[in-house]
Amino acid sequence: MLRRLVAATALGSAIALLFVSTTTAQTNYKVPRLADGHPDFQGFWNNTTYTPLERPKGIDREFFTREEVVEQMKRAAVDEAEQTTPGTVADVHYDFTQFGLDRSQAPLSVNLRTSLIVDPPDGHFPPMTDEGKRLNAARAEARKRAGAITDAAQNQPLSVRCILMDRDGPPMLAGAYNNNYQIVQAPDTVMILVEMLHSPRIIPTNGRPALPASIRQIEGNSRGRWDGDTLVIETTNFTDMFMFAFQGASADMKLTERFTRVSDDTLTYRFTVNDPKVWTRPWTAEVPWKKGVGPIFEHACHEGNYSLTNLLRGAREDEKRAREKKPASN
Amino acid sequence: MRTTFAVIVALGAWLMAAPLLAHHAFSSEFDIGKPLKLRGTLTKWEMINPHSWFHIDVKGEDGTVVPWLIEGGSPNQLIRLGVTKKNLPIGAEFIIEGYQARDGTNKAVGRNFTLADGRSFLLGGSAPGAAGSDK
Repeated sequence: MLRRLVAATALGSAIALLFVSTTTAQTNYKVPRLADGHPDFQGFWNNTTYTPLERPKGIDREFFTREEVVEQMKRAAVDEAEQTTPGTVADVHYDFTQFGLDRSQAPLSVNLRTSLIVDPPDGHFPPMTDEGKRLNAARAEARKRAGAITDAAQNQPLSVRCILMDRDGPPMLAGAYNNNYQIVQAPDTVMILVEMLHSPRIIPTNGRPALPASIRQIEGNSRGRWDGDTLVIETTNFTDMFMFAFQGASADMKLTERFTRVSDDTLTYRFTVNDPKVWTRPWTAEVPWKKGVGPIFEHACHEGNYSLTNLLRGAREDEKRAREKKPASN
Repeated sequence: MRTTFAVIVALGAWLMAAPLLAHHAFSSEFDIGKPLKLRGTLTKWEMINPHSWFHIDVKGEDGTVVPWLIEGGSPNQLIRLGVTKKNLPIGAEFIIEGYQARDGTNKAVGRNFTLADGRSFLLGGSAPGAAGSDK
């Protein structure tokens, strides 16, 4: 009970302050600039959010009121600080709050939107093409053929294998925790360091030609340019690995990310997915990134990933027990 | 609060759409049928990603000491909250509640860490908003 009260009170005051700072900062905002005249994005950022990518059922408007968002965030903070029920699957976990990993302990971006998808305006993915449906059905089939998720390390998601997480992208979308980024700019390059899984995106902004279409990479091939005060990053040359495939996209997805500073402590990250093979029209999402707190810490995931071995060993043990339970067949 | 019933329902849907995303499926690694409560002494903290591992010595009633490994969260946010290897009390006696590994070895996920006197073992506990820059 005390925990609920502390959660509600602490977050309530934090949100109240946040609205004040956001409102005042956006008036007459002057973008800070580097010596080369381009806007200065350098520093630490965090894209933690409670807002889902797609608008949930039952909500048919683009924005919540501020009052509603404050209420939701307070409730979410309390829910995440609550203990789960012993003996349920959700309880088989460490306490996020104890480790400072619940979202309310991150520098949260306040977002009045009901979904991150801003176009189509209904907040939903556009319809999938027939080719997109076939492609994803084939991927599902390949996944099935590969066996159960615990049959082999290679069947585990890329996140569990410490190869790629949603924070890495691109597009870069928050998970529950450690949604920390550092941006460093040089005259001909922008570097975005993603804390989890510690991958730097090094993006030329000097007109360097893109890689030939034959060279494919999990994170694609990114090239940057300036559109006024907005940094634009275009990424192509993705792979067709069914283990990754962002929201069912094909390897031919063209991703356009746009970064715009809108206040002292917020930048707007907007990305457009253009993949005519899979969707009948492009779609766009928008996420506010909030000034974070440095430094970025190493997240050497693979080196400490005992969990992968443990869960495969657990599956083998379960199989052994099942075999022992079965009566001999002949 | 001036929210109507319809809005409350909608907000519920909105929150449910954004569950906590863990690094891996814990129920594949640990056994829901093997809940446990251990009282032990911290001997080592492996401050590694994606998960911390706490080594503890658990003394049985007959005096024998059994080492256990307890899985906890990634250390990055703990560092931000000021919990580091330097100030984490090695030798402290604490109680963990959690679930044992499916393979039956002396490993467990630490659902809760508390010091023997009832205080939170990890300093970052139960203070949502504590690390936000807007506090």
